[in-house]
Amino acid sequence: MVSDETPSDEALMVEFQRGSRPALEELFARYREPIFGFFCRRLYLRERAEDLTQDTFLAVIRAKARYEPRALVRTYLYGIAMKLLAAERRKGFVVIPGATSVANDSADEVLWVRQALERLEEGDREILMLREYEQLSYGEIGSLLGLPVNTVRSRLFRSRMALKGQLDPAGSLENVKCK
Amino acid sequence: MQVNEHPVEQEEVMAFLDGELPSDRTALVAAHLEECRECQRLAAELRDVSRRLTALQVGPSAVRLPGRPKRAEVWMGLGVAAALCLLLLSLVQPKMMNQASRARLTAMQARRSALQSSAAKPMIARTSQLVLITTEFDKARGALEDILKRHRGYLGQLDVTAPADGPRIFNATLRVPSDQLDPTVAEIRKLGRVESESQSGEEVTKQYVDLDARLTNARNTEQRLTALLHDRSGKMTDVLAVEKEIDRVRGEIEQMEAEKKTLVNRVDFATLNVTLREASKAQLSPHSTLDRFRNAAAEGYASLLAGVVGAVVFLLSYGPSLLLWGGLLVIALRFLPGGLRKVSALLKSRD
Repeated sequence: MVSDETPSDEALMVEFQRGSRPALEELFARYREPIFGFFCRRLYLRERAEDLTQDTFLAVIRAKARYEPRALVRTYLYGIAMKLLAAERRKGFVVIPGATSVANDSADEVLWVRQALERLEEGDREILMLREYEQLSYGEIGSLLGLPVNTVRSRLFRSRMALKGQLDPAGSLENVKCK
Repeated sequence: MQVNEHPVEQEEVMAFLDGELPSDRTALVAAHLEECRECQRLAAELRDVSRRLTALQVGPSAVRLPGRPKRAEVWMGLGVAAALCLLLLSLVQPKMMNQASRARLTAMQARRSALQSSAAKPMIARTSQLVLITTEFDKARGALEDILKRHRGYLGQLDVTAPADGPRIFNATLRVPSDQLDPTVAEIRKLGRVESESQSGEEVTKQYVDLDARLTNARNTEQRLTALLHDRSGKMTDVLAVEKEIDRVRGEIEQMEAEKKTLVNRVDFATLNVTLREASKAQLSPHSTLDRFRNAAAEGYASLLAGVVGAVVFLLSYGPSLLLWGGLLVIALRFLPGGLRKVSALLKSRD
């Protein structure tokens, strides 16, 4: 039976494991921008984000035998990306606020969002960003970070409530955390 | 909100919006949301947070798939590109001359009008630096906020360092409307003694005009491609190729629009970097004789205190050891049989 449906990520990954280069190219086309966005929003430097995106796919190519169809490809890719990000941070990489690189259309709004995100606790921030920007499900976030789904849900709620107050544009000098 | 008054928890409202509720709870939360205003407000707030977070957009990347493409793939890519060009040419040929010349004319007109407007008023991105020393650090910081509000400015970045054994330093990057920069700087100067001040301006007129012209061209290209898509008569693969090209051009347009807004923002709002450093009153007027005496007295007192503290620290650190070894030496010389005499004899025999 011939199916007209678009092949799933997992089917493409299996094809790639069997040696299909087009399957890898299709996966790359699907996840190039999301993975790039993942790094870009966390490092604020486009060039470094592009390098790390390429490193993520390089890791997929090198370790293609290691992937097991039980896991979602999306989770697998973000898992690699998170390890690369952690390694990058261990190297002592410093985020330079204002050294830019994410394209945007409202400098004020972006500044508020960045400052509000930076004030969140690191783990809560990561959960929130994985949900809002990477659009991962609670279960996927839990398996990536090694947390129960209920914990993910409650920490996500806490982060959003914290942001609700912090994203108020009326905030001024008093609302800015001194470093 | 009293949680126990609602049949659903706040987190469940959030999970419902995220599509993460189990099916047995989804209907319950949906029904509750229809009638509960508080939960409706919570849902609206959660949606608003998500909406505002989308401001942090990332433009398209230039990442390539790792690994060298095979020669056949390179040739295939070139072939596809050439075929796409031919396809576009063949599709637009009847209208191309008129459209292209009209697009060029529009772009030139846009560039000319932008140049004319910029000739009347050059676009300058102004930056100013101000370093102040003040004794009333907290008061100055509060006053700075008032000045910022009065001149319709906003805070870009703020850092405060307060070391335990040193003066506090306040660094702020302020954005104020360009026409308000001079009065703002004049008021901030009054907050302390000005240690240094500088101003600079970068003319971005040419950059703006170029960007505007490129944006006009890209919009014209998008319109032509969209028109092509409406009059399509080719194969599905050709249509997809045109759609892909439209997506690429739209991406470029969005990026250029963002750059343009940033540029305009830099011109409309000047950047003012202010550093406030806490200091003693004596440092504020170093040329006063009275203050020089006061400084000298303060330094003398400080050095005396440091000397006494150093001596006490030395005695406390080494005193017990010195006492122990001194005591042992005295005992050795006095009580050992003939100890002192032997030493004296030894010294005499050397002489």
